Amino acid sequence: MIVLISQIFSLALALIVISKSYVDFRSRRESLPMFVVWTLTWAIIVSVALSPGLIEFLLRGNTAGAGIGRILGMGVVFEFFLLYRVYTRVERLEQKITALVQEVALRDGLKPGAKKGA
Amino acid sequence: MNARRKIVVVIPAYNEAAVVGDVIASVPRCIDDMDVLCLVVDDGSTDDTADVARSHGAVALRHVVNLGVGAATRTGLRGAKEFNPDVVVTIDADGQHDPAEIASLVRCLVENKYDVVIGSRIHLKGMPALRVFANLFLNAVMFVVYGKVVSDSQSGFKAFNRRSLNIIELDSAGYEICSEIIGEIVRNQLSYKSLPVRAVYTQYSRAKGQPFLNGINLVLNVFVRMLRRV
Repeated sequence: MIVLISQIFSLALALIVISKSYVDFRSRRESLPMFVVWTLTWAIIVSVALSPGLIEFLLRGNTAGAGIGRILGMGVVFEFFLLYRVYTRVERLEQKITALVQEVALRDGLKPGAKKGA
Repeated sequence: MNARRKIVVVIPAYNEAAVVGDVIASVPRCIDDMDVLCLVVDDGSTDDTADVARSHGAVALRHVVNLGVGAATRTGLRGAKEFNPDVVVTIDADGQHDPAEIASLVRCLVENKYDVVIGSRIHLKGMPALRVFANLFLNAVMFVVYGKVVSDSQSGFKAFNRRSLNIIELDSAGYEICSEIIGEIVRNQLSYKSLPVRAVYTQYSRAKGQPFLNGINLVLNVFVRMLRRV
């Protein structure tokens, strides 16, 4: 049951990301190479989610399998790195936007003609 | 001749054109020997909040986009400093707090030389049960994180003296600013007092309060902030 739920969840997420990526590509907010990268990446993720045995097959007892394991491990680490980068960039952007909006509000609201009741 | 002392009342507001005029009109014009000035921060409202505030004699600062009550409060505190106040009071724009009680907060602050006075809504009747529970839970979180008992840590009704205004450093954008202020009180070892105040729960003010589930967000913010300070 849990396996089924995780498969449905993975499929739903993949569809959301791919469709959003496609919309961005069509409205020229995303380049073709990036769209292809996201589509392939999520296609691989969904393939593994729908066929967990695929990983086992690839990893089964040979040198190539051990190499695949290391690549997958590196992939997970890289994803967490990307997540960290995105998180910190969003935080900084939010702070910059807040500072900008505050400066405009203070500049416009406290200029000599605008002050009242002081 | 010494200049008269000044109180600035900071009112963060988002789409409060319907009631902010009444709130401003209810703020006393002077308290003891101190003049009172209202400073409304319109947080990107889609109505005429800023214009209504100005028409009632307040200074109005306007965010071009909505940032959150925390950012609006910070803008207000920064703007208040331009008037060189002796006391700054923050109060909600939705009429939940009775402006007549500003005098009580200010006198408590000045006479007892506290750095911060927090208007506590917990002691008195009238608060919806769910909000009482949410506030008590958040008070418990404040105690776990900061080791301080605050009877209404999420109250937006506060008075600050000049010292606390210059010392505290805030960077919250949303409702977590209340928790952040508690953290700053503890971090800077500021003296504070919780003073019972009346809360006015109309249908309007109940609808305006933060959603109950936002409490989860607040708790997460408190712990993330704690990790940052380590």
